[in-house]
Amino acid sequence: MDRNQLKKWFESPAKMGHKYSLHVVYFCTGCGIIEIPPSITARWDAERFGVIPVATPRQANLFLITGYVSVKTLKAVIRTYEQMPEPKFTVGFGSCPINGGMYWDSYNTIKHLDKYIPIDGWIAGCMPRPEAIFIAVTHLWTLIDKEMADGYKKYKENYRYYRANQEQLYGKLDWPPLFSEEDKK
Amino acid sequence: MQIWGIILSPLLALVVGIFFLGLSRKIMARIHWRYGPPITQPVIDIIKLFSQKSISHGTIFDLGLILSLAGSFVVILFLPLGQMCPLSSGGLLAILYLMLLAPLGIALSSGEAANPNSSIGISRKFLLALGYEVPLLFILLAVMTHYNTISLVEIVRIQSTTGWSFGSLPLLLSGIAYFLILPAILGIRPFEIAGAGQEISSGANAEFGGKFLAFSTIQHALHEFIGISLFVNLFLGGWSLFGILEPITNTVWGVILGIIVFLIKMLIVFILGLFINAVFPRFRIEQAIKYLWKWPTLFAFIGLIVVVLVK
Amino acid sequence: MSLELLIIVAFGGAFLTYFLGKISSKLRNSFAVLNALALVVIIACLYGQTMEKSFYFGFFSLPLILRNNVLSWFFAIAISVLGALSVIFSLSYMRNRERTDFYYLMMLLVNAAMLGIVFSGDLISFFIFWEIMSWSTCILISYNRGPALAAGMKYIIMSIIGSMAMLVGMLSLYTTYGTLNIATLSTLVASSSHGYLLFLLIIFGITFGIKNAVMPLHTWLPDAYAEAPSPFTAVLSGMLTRMGIYGFLLIMYVIVGAGATLHLGHGFFTFNNILAWLGAITIVIPTFIAMLQNDAKKLLAWHGIGQGGYMILGIAFGTSLGMAGGIFHTLNHAIYISLLFMSVAAIQYRTGGVRDLNSLGGLIKKMPIAFIGGLLGICGLIGIPLTNGFVSKWLIYKTLILNGAPFLAFAALIGTWGTILSVYKFLHNIFLGQLPEKYKNIQKSPFSMRLPIIVLSFAILLFGILPGIPLKVINAIDVSLGFKSLNVTLWGIASDSGTLNTINIFAVVLVFGVIIWLLFKAGRKAPKVDQYDNYAAGAAIPKGKYHYTVDYYNPFYRMATPYLKDFVDVFYMKIAKWTQNLCNTVRRIYTGYVGNYVMYIVLFMAFLILIQLKWSVF
Repeated sequence: MDRNQLKKWFESPAKMGHKYSLHVVYFCTGCGIIEIPPSITARWDAERFGVIPVATPRQANLFLITGYVSVKTLKAVIRTYEQMPEPKFTVGFGSCPINGGMYWDSYNTIKHLDKYIPIDGWIAGCMPRPEAIFIAVTHLWTLIDKEMADGYKKYKENYRYYRANQEQLYGKLDWPPLFSEEDKK
Repeated sequence: MQIWGIILSPLLALVVGIFFLGLSRKIMARIHWRYGPPITQPVIDIIKLFSQKSISHGTIFDLGLILSLAGSFVVILFLPLGQMCPLSSGGLLAILYLMLLAPLGIALSSGEAANPNSSIGISRKFLLALGYEVPLLFILLAVMTHYNTISLVEIVRIQSTTGWSFGSLPLLLSGIAYFLILPAILGIRPFEIAGAGQEISSGANAEFGGKFLAFSTIQHALHEFIGISLFVNLFLGGWSLFGILEPITNTVWGVILGIIVFLIKMLIVFILGLFINAVFPRFRIEQAIKYLWKWPTLFAFIGLIVVVLVK
Repeated sequence: MSLELLIIVAFGGAFLTYFLGKISSKLRNSFAVLNALALVVIIACLYGQTMEKSFYFGFFSLPLILRNNVLSWFFAIAISVLGALSVIFSLSYMRNRERTDFYYLMMLLVNAAMLGIVFSGDLISFFIFWEIMSWSTCILISYNRGPALAAGMKYIIMSIIGSMAMLVGMLSLYTTYGTLNIATLSTLVASSSHGYLLFLLIIFGITFGIKNAVMPLHTWLPDAYAEAPSPFTAVLSGMLTRMGIYGFLLIMYVIVGAGATLHLGHGFFTFNNILAWLGAITIVIPTFIAMLQNDAKKLLAWHGIGQGGYMILGIAFGTSLGMAGGIFHTLNHAIYISLLFMSVAAIQYRTGGVRDLNSLGGLIKKMPIAFIGGLLGICGLIGIPLTNGFVSKWLIYKTLILNGAPFLAFAALIGTWGTILSVYKFLHNIFLGQLPEKYKNIQKSPFSMRLPIIVLSFAILLFGILPGIPLKVINAIDVSLGFKSLNVTLWGIASDSGTLNTINIFAVVLVFGVIIWLLFKAGRKAPKVDQYDNYAAGAAIPKGKYHYTVDYYNPFYRMATPYLKDFVDVFYMKIAKWTQNLCNTVRRIYTGYVGNYVMYIVLFMAFLILIQLKWSVF
């Protein structure tokens, strides 16, 4: 942990800030949420990494999608993701968001979450243990350091692709496009 | 001296307030048997928040928050910090009214956010304020009547010669009442109603992100500083320490030592408050009002009667 | 400039306006505005002149006297400026309504009558102008018909009771001293017995207490304020109700005199102490009742009652600081409450008369000037530093604390906190929050509405930052009433125990505001988003049915509603009901049959004969 190296703080305060202050919006989509309480309370204590849960997506910069995502929930997931301030990072938790997991043949869950919103990292497993969250967090640090956690940029660049996928699923969405065509230029 | 005070005391309040935020997270973690975040975590959070790209809901959304932060800084200039008090006109009454700027600013700002959670948070915040203002006003009136002045500087000065008002018999009940309502003033548990994260998505802060949340965090830090330092000034004698600092009053060392003594007193009060915060669950708003209008008000009311009778 | 010119312009202009209205409405409008402005100019020219002029009309061998002194001038300038602004405001508010000629006539007549009251130098002319004011007010309150008729009736009944009380007092004064000249009376009355002075103070106190809506006599006010046309409500709340304060000053400190007033009674039960406690009750209960209101104008009306309590508290104590606070608060209250009523009126004008707080919202984006008016108005009402309300409230609190009345001070201070709750609800429910879809295409208020709002907003800040401007005049009033002079500077007040200096508060707020604003600008730019881009647990906001401001302080309502009823009003209404029933019963005597009347006569004759036979009295 290079949190205490003052030199790095002076070089790129914003990047260091994003690394060591991950405010998480835990989205209780599925069974994965059961692993979150132990990870943020006394047993595993996520706060020592600067990871704390916050109340609304406006205050968050890490989006943790815990478990399968049903079609109905996906709408809320997209909405929440779009309301988070940039830079924002997304981590899919458990095998269901990756490829459908045990719901691979379900009619009302989506199979690939990264078709709808960009994902910076995955935690595989059914269920992953709380330790896996911390490993994911340290990996995310490395990605932020190398500026590879750029899902939010990809979302902006390929917004037409994501929006098309979203609209394919729902028909018409309740909210206007996040980026207009001029924004991308 | 006054210029130095105007520059230094807000900075000192800022540093101390943010230090208290970090300390509270660390101490709460230790009480929970956790390792906890580094004590600088609030600073990291604020740096991060400033570099984020947030959204705004309109002009008042911006200006309200600026007003609230400016209001908090202005109140700090009116509070004696040790022997240093940059501004004193208007006395305790002016402080009481200047303390309204901060909640009003936040209320305007999150009012314009047009979020129901924010509005509920504001409504709870004002109701809680109504709850604790009743005993608080009795307490302040008792102190002002006892010392027959409305100037906070004067109150601190009299205490340095006659002893802390917490120790003087007529004001003892008022002091107890103030300590009972201190958690409500600071907005910590069991009175964490206005900013309840789990119930109403942190209330007034629900639409704040990025620099808005950073400002709101700083404002919160300053608010805690104000609440505690008012208690220390009114009841724990400000900078005075059993007459030890008396010989070096008005020298540079006297001022510096005065500030250190003052901050240590604040730290003790704050940690006591934290212990209350750690062990209590959250009240509902009507429970909080009922509590505040029962015991603290009773103590404060009897305290005021005692003060009037003794006079 | 002379006083008779003023009175002629005021009354003549009012009637001329009415007749011009028959020719052309444009002519009438411009003449009404010119007339109101001319009054301001005339009164401004009267500044600093003390004069007295009597006119003899052979009226019971009593001359009618007009006089000008600093107290009259202070009230007159406030009346005339407010009247002018209100007439300007009416221009667009009353457009396309019926009976507008009549409205302008009454509006200017009320204005003229108030000027007459403050400039009258004897009690007869005072009474005449008082009656003109009461009756024209009653007519204006009932202007909208419907529930307004009942409100006007309530007002005029209470007002007549007050006038009758005043008449009794005047007759008593006339029979005792043979004169009704205020200046002469003030030298004669002070030496009379305590009992008589107390009688005078109480009998006139009823009159002025009704007008100023002191707590048990307040019940006319909420309905009257709510039902009157909004530009007139601004005048009604701003200055007309405060004629009561002028009356209190007149009877307590001019006619009876400060020395005599302050020593009437024993121990706790002195006149001014009782008055102060009534003032305290007037602050607390209406302020908390205001919290329960959902009608914007009614909410403000209850605050109008509550703020009257502060003025009573200030003037009841009879110290120079308290007097300054009370009189200054009268001026400040006039400014901010009329500003608030004008903001509400602007909203009403654009939304088609809606004043229900539960159905408005988000109008800040559509009517920013009205919002600024509302914001500064509520800041003044609360007494936020740098607005005018702060200075006068500060003076009053300081008087109370240093005079050893902490419980009164508590009542005054807790009134402020009750005020914050209800006025924030007022501001939030009208201007902040979600904009309903039906108000999407609303336009900003017309210029003739924006101008008075801007002027009054400016006045709030000006008198808040430089309170010395009005305080200099108020200090002169203090001195003329026989109190010791205050050390007034342009930006506050200096006294032996604690000074007030608003300019340094202003300076630090400005400096910190700018620093933080720069810091704010230095952060990453935050793009503005639509009101529907809002956190709702991931769901999209449903349009048109997302209203959450109903029962804003619901937990408190549940606790307080049973206790916060207007019990006085209920009691009065019961008395009214009983009286009505009694009269109904008496009415049954007149059956309409000649036989019955013959029987009454026979019975009455028999009764008389019986008495004559028994006691032989005749």
